[in-house]
Amino acid sequence: MKKYLVALLMLFVALGFSASDYIVVGTTDKIRTLDPANCYDYFSSNILFNVLAGPVDYKVGTAEIIPWLFEKWTVSKDGLVYTFTIKKGAAFEDGTAIDASVFKWSWERVMKLGGDPAFLLGDVVDKIEVVSAQTLKVTLKYKFSAFVSVLGYTVGFPMNPKTTPADKFIDGAPSASGPYKVTEWQRDVRMVLEANPKYFGAKPKTPKIIIQFFENSTQLRMALETGQIDVAYRHMDPNDVLDLQKNQTELGLKVYLGASPQIRFLVLNVKQKPFDNPAIRQALSYAVDRDAIVKTVFSGLASPLYTLVPIGWWSHIDVMPKYNPKQATQMLQKLGYSSSKPLTIDLWYTPSHYGSTEADVAQLLKRSFEATGVVKVNIKYAEWSTYVEYFLNGTMGLFLLGWYPDYMDPDDYLWPFLSKSGAASMGSFYESAEVEDLMIKGRAATTLQERTALYQRVQQIAAKDAPYITLWQGFADCEARSNISGIVLEPSQIFRYYILEKK
Amino acid sequence: MSLRSYILTRIILALPMIFILLVVIFFLLRIIPGDPVLAILGGKAPLEVIEQKRHEMGLDKPIMVQFFDYLKDVFTGNLGTSTLTNRPVIEELKDRFPATLELTIFAFIIALLIGLFWGAESAWRKDEPLDIGARVYSVLLYSVPVFWFGLILQLIFASYLRWLPVGGRIPAVTSFEVRTGLYVLDAIMSGDWKGLLDVLRYLALPSITLGMVTSSIFLRMVRNNTVLILSKDLVKAARARGLKKRVVLYGHAVKNAFVPIFTIIGMQFASLLAGAILTETTFSWPGIGSYLVMKIRYRDFPAIQGTIIFFGLFIVVISIIIDIVNALVDPRVRY
Repeated sequence: MKKYLVALLMLFVALGFSASDYIVVGTTDKIRTLDPANCYDYFSSNILFNVLAGPVDYKVGTAEIIPWLFEKWTVSKDGLVYTFTIKKGAAFEDGTAIDASVFKWSWERVMKLGGDPAFLLGDVVDKIEVVSAQTLKVTLKYKFSAFVSVLGYTVGFPMNPKTTPADKFIDGAPSASGPYKVTEWQRDVRMVLEANPKYFGAKPKTPKIIIQFFENSTQLRMALETGQIDVAYRHMDPNDVLDLQKNQTELGLKVYLGASPQIRFLVLNVKQKPFDNPAIRQALSYAVDRDAIVKTVFSGLASPLYTLVPIGWWSHIDVMPKYNPKQATQMLQKLGYSSSKPLTIDLWYTPSHYGSTEADVAQLLKRSFEATGVVKVNIKYAEWSTYVEYFLNGTMGLFLLGWYPDYMDPDDYLWPFLSKSGAASMGSFYESAEVEDLMIKGRAATTLQERTALYQRVQQIAAKDAPYITLWQGFADCEARSNISGIVLEPSQIFRYYILEKK
Repeated sequence: MSLRSYILTRIILALPMIFILLVVIFFLLRIIPGDPVLAILGGKAPLEVIEQKRHEMGLDKPIMVQFFDYLKDVFTGNLGTSTLTNRPVIEELKDRFPATLELTIFAFIIALLIGLFWGAESAWRKDEPLDIGARVYSVLLYSVPVFWFGLILQLIFASYLRWLPVGGRIPAVTSFEVRTGLYVLDAIMSGDWKGLLDVLRYLALPSITLGMVTSSIFLRMVRNNTVLILSKDLVKAARARGLKKRVVLYGHAVKNAFVPIFTIIGMQFASLLAGAILTETTFSWPGIGSYLVMKIRYRDFPAIQGTIIFFGLFIVVISIIIDIVNALVDPRVRY
């Protein structure tokens, strides 16, 4: 009898959910880990952004840093010591207060465990001191004005010392401090987020978010069209995005498009012949038809990019030459190449890591280089892990690569590319004392004006030396039923579930 | 040979098979170019971090040392740690296995029902439309790739008619408690009938897809064997005694035709699992098949290795069981 009552009650509960109590989000992405100390992929951090509170946040819809757990901060004159004031009253779901000692414990744990993103803190942080419950002092190894931006990434988010093991990564979900808490997680099947009553900030607009995981984009699209899910976020096929956009009113859907901070580029290995000659690199940079790639391969759903820093970021300036095959031909002819004695180069790509469009991109690049009449291109490819091996050991001379930022600062688009150590891990092996010096100055400078000037100078030199030819900046997309509001595709790529609402 | 010594021999013979499987898996995965650490961190993390990670995973040790470590681990039930999620592979497989088991059980039942009844009936009415239909069906479904067939069913029943869900295993909201991981059982145990209906709706398309494709082989086997038996004296004798069709067909003919079919069923189990890999991917079914595909995509070598070992052991165990049952049913097998 009791069993039947329980069953009846359950049925009651099941039917008791009104439609606007929850929103179902579908994705083909996977969650690797929910431990900030090891989280270094997009979708895992996406969940953490909604479940944990971080030191700083971004103003909704912008890349502007605003206080979150850190109320305010000051930087010492020498740029090495940061003093943070922590908000009072913030706590984890079990009531454990978030104070300076929690931050110290969490960050030291990140550095000790040495997980995938640990270097982001470990490379710069020298010492962490608790001054008082509400005051934290951090001393850096070198001047690094983008430090606060690094703290905007999940690696800087504090964890609950009461429930988190100090010596290993957590397996399940963390103790929540953000707008939601994870109440159910069946890996690769379903995750349920429910409003965290202990969160100090604004209540989520929708008390419950259910994330359903799909294996492929066709399924994701069908699930959205049939109403099985309310929101589809990552990864719809570009053709499906265009198709849904065309028919959105009929289907009762809305397609959102935004810029993504992902940039794609060609790497030119400056230690390998013939790319060791700056004149050849320079000539090739005139021969790249970005518009053709964006139009043909991405149906216009991407933006041509003429520098390393993405469009819309401070210090961005177009510095690389516009497409001019005649100029490229002339420059190469001057170097002694002709149609009978062409410059023969290998162009490498990797077929699956960047999606199915990569082979087409390589084809278009080949066509665009060969349009000069004095270049002959052989296309070669390798699977991702082999590809990485090849570019780290300098096997490849000219190849396609992509970059996704770790923190929202132009420094993350320049230092990893142009510093000696960065360039080596990117396969260009570029070295320039002048550029390195300017970038170190940029890291030490404290005013935006000063930093902008320095970074623009760096971009100009990079365009002239051409160890990289940037191609395009990606796009972000999200598709939802038309009764869902609150979808904002942010420059920071944080997808905020707590502002979603169903009408 | 007594039954006991037959079983013992069968199990002892399985051991070298398992060992060969382990050796092949280990070396095949290491011949494939590409470094698992680079696959995850390449192009992002500094070189020192990559080196350190490689050391942690023991990838800088000599290959033979790695091999013996691996053998030791496998025999102690440790299938390694996923490089992608940092969780023990065995744990991840445990999470996923019930989904595959549920799918294969239902697919198997569907295949068996179609194969048995349609096969027997078409043998009885040889060369009549029902039989011709059966032959066309089995040739068609045998030659159709399972993922394509799945997509077509998905398009018709989920996308156009909207009778069944597109994919996944459970709806966004369910209220039964997950105990065994076999959701049909869980829903029944919790007495959640609405939940049971939901679960069956999600299960319908994948299990029908896999079941129908597998049924084509059963159907042919049952039909051909029954046709053979039907022409034998025992059937004539049965009919002469005036037994009903049902008794003659199922009681005598099919029963006798079943011994070779049973062996085939055992062998089909392996291809059923292979089919499950494709079906799971088509329907976002979170079982071991889609797990393997995902791990291959991410170059998660320990997980790939662990999954293949798991699959291999599973098939070995199933085939031993089938052999033993076969020996019980048909004593000729033992000699």
